[in-house]
Amino acid sequence: MVKVNKKGKKGEFKETTPLDVVYFILPFISLGLVVFLWYSVSTNKPDMFPSMTATWARLVKLFKQPIMRVPYYGHILASLKRVVMALAAAIVIGVPFGTMLGWNRKLDCFFGSIFNIIRPIPPLAWIPLIIIAFGIGEFPKVLIVFIGAVMPIVINTRAGLRSVDQLYLDVGTLFDANRRQILMEVAIPSAMPAIIAGIKTATSTGWMVVLAAEMLSAKSGVGFLVTRGMDANDMPLVLVAMITIGIVGALLGVLTSLIERLLCPWLQIK
Amino acid sequence: MAANKVILQIRNLKKSFSGKNGEVLAVNDVSFDVYDNEFLVLLGPGQCGKTVMLNMIAGLIEPDEGEIILNGKPVRGHDPKIGMVLQRTALMPWKTVMSNVEIGPKWRGVGKAERQAYCQKFIDLVGLTGFEKSFPAQLSGGMKQRVGIARAYANDPEILIMDEPFGALDAQTRYAMEEEVARIWDQQKRTVIFVTNNIEEACFLGDRIILFSNRPATIKEIYPNEMARPRDMISEEFMKLRTSISDNTDLAIDTL
Amino acid sequence: MKKNEGKADKLGRGMGASSYTYAMLSVAGVLSFLLIWQLLLEFKLVSGRYLAKPTELILLLIYKWTNAAPDGATLPVSIWASMQVALSGLALGIVTGVPLGLLMGWFKGIDKFVNPVFEIIRPIPPISWIPLTIVWLGIGLQAKAFIIYFSAFIPCVINSYTGIKLTNKTLINVAKTSGAGNVETFYKVGIPSAMPLAFAGIRVAVGNAWSTLVAAEMLAASAGLGYMISMGRLYARPDIILLGMIVIGLIGALFNGLLSFVENRVIKWR
Repeated sequence: MVKVNKKGKKGEFKETTPLDVVYFILPFISLGLVVFLWYSVSTNKPDMFPSMTATWARLVKLFKQPIMRVPYYGHILASLKRVVMALAAAIVIGVPFGTMLGWNRKLDCFFGSIFNIIRPIPPLAWIPLIIIAFGIGEFPKVLIVFIGAVMPIVINTRAGLRSVDQLYLDVGTLFDANRRQILMEVAIPSAMPAIIAGIKTATSTGWMVVLAAEMLSAKSGVGFLVTRGMDANDMPLVLVAMITIGIVGALLGVLTSLIERLLCPWLQIK
Repeated sequence: MAANKVILQIRNLKKSFSGKNGEVLAVNDVSFDVYDNEFLVLLGPGQCGKTVMLNMIAGLIEPDEGEIILNGKPVRGHDPKIGMVLQRTALMPWKTVMSNVEIGPKWRGVGKAERQAYCQKFIDLVGLTGFEKSFPAQLSGGMKQRVGIARAYANDPEILIMDEPFGALDAQTRYAMEEEVARIWDQQKRTVIFVTNNIEEACFLGDRIILFSNRPATIKEIYPNEMARPRDMISEEFMKLRTSISDNTDLAIDTL
Repeated sequence: MKKNEGKADKLGRGMGASSYTYAMLSVAGVLSFLLIWQLLLEFKLVSGRYLAKPTELILLLIYKWTNAAPDGATLPVSIWASMQVALSGLALGIVTGVPLGLLMGWFKGIDKFVNPVFEIIRPIPPISWIPLTIVWLGIGLQAKAFIIYFSAFIPCVINSYTGIKLTNKTLINVAKTSGAGNVETFYKVGIPSAMPLAFAGIRVAVGNAWSTLVAAEMLAASAGLGYMISMGRLYARPDIILLGMIVIGLIGALFNGLLSFVENRVIKWR
């Protein structure tokens, strides 16, 4: 039985071996095991882990019955709004700041040293300070997410600009670019992949931070759903919220990859 | 050829670098003249310091001693009249072929329509019509170097330096590109300083061939080459020149 | 190096100055930051209810070294509590994560079996496991260590997996043609060449673990640095919060430095 191997290159033929069949089945076995485990734990010890039917029922109920007068999708949107606002601010501030640090060594020494002493403080550790300074409104939450998101953007932008290939700078000199042209048309584009990678990290960090901020103090958002479930001993709600967080987080990852494709089309060429 | 006017004078160039084992002398007391519109080949073994010399002429690095005189005036830093095709093509991967070629005029402030029409001529000249919107990653090695040549020409230099442009190409492509360069030079007369470590390439392209010693680079001999173009690589005349240069060449053994 | 000196400032990159100048600039940066901070509070431009002066923090550090008030533990006790949790979770994460990633990257069967489950768990931020962990394990060391474990485990797996997948095919072929079996090639070629990325994973893991720990201690704990700063919030004591943040940052930076040291020792060929 000769058959085209899907993963092989064009014109490569391969016989289906018993091993291929095993490889094909293995993912199903492992997923089946997960489902079985979930099922058996939740039937034997329903306190430890909510059952599938209970989780599903909770999700259906969540659609019909808002929590704190905010519907299910409203909580998702509330979290997303915070992340998007913080990300936008982090990009607008972080990319120019990182560029400055990466491009000019003197400025890097002066401002970079300040940045370096603030950097090791985890974004979540800012939460108490920000809450006592700004209360528990929308702004403090966005600010916390901003702190989490701006760090990787600055770090990556700085690294990207520091390591611009001398060759491209030579081309700038050879074709008589002025300083601004070398920075804007040579250095920054060549650091673009690093900057985008920073934005990707910032997005996933931001999603994690918003969750923590909402768990600590909020009346809306997916993180609030988790704490609400915990406080009301409503484990199915916790699980629904966790799954939601996972799915939205994964979608955000896909979205940033799409943006990367759009901004760096030359990286897509294989 | 010798009756031609001198456009560029290189006087007593010297450059050393501090390396792992102390100071390394890369270029030692090199002087030569370059004539207007000639195709000058600098030939020397690999790693002999030719690239250092070129970078000094192009203004990318400063010489320790010596002078570079262009049209009677000493050059400091990079002079816009000197263009360069680099060893590693140095195309910007984030720019399309057209955007890469047009950087010279663009950075001088030439308007978009005007510079693109102007650059199109050079893209056509190097035979890349239809690839204007491609990214460098989509092109073969030979095509990339064609873009590099078009880019250098589009900046309209008086002197064009080519630093082992075909070093990374396979033999087939290399022959084709040598013929291309000869053709382009014939159509768009410029002064070309072409650096290579390949004797055959030197004999095929050069009006004059300056042979360099192993590191530090010093001039060994200057060969005039007035064979008619296009040249035939298996003619007796060609073989004779090739053999005489080859007998005089240092082996490229890295002496570090 | 000479090459850079000549053209450096043509580009306005602030290069070519002596290392003494750069060091002085860094010191000046940090000092002016501290000075502005101090002055803002001295002249009451920022209220002492929201921030504390650097000088106050030094005094507080000395005080907290031996005094348990107001949060119930001296600083060394809090540090020790946090370290215990972080290190146990982190160690477990590295010890299980790195080998799993390596095995998944090398043996297709393991990859096919584990990957689906891993892909389900991966996008869920570790802190959202807190409610379930509390139900399972209470709020003691085990529960927190479990959450830290998650945060450290995931980057270890991903990076080791990628690292071993990127093993040079030529090296593998050389090993196999010299008579090494698949398993021998795995540990003689695959593992060493995956080390740099595995270390990158451990580095991410350390950062994640430390930052997740702070969140976990703020959400559910009765000891540790995170608990200390959330108590600071409760008592409206910005000085306690700031001291906690600084200690958290310092320890994070120390971890990082230690890791670089180990990394340079282990990966000798770099």
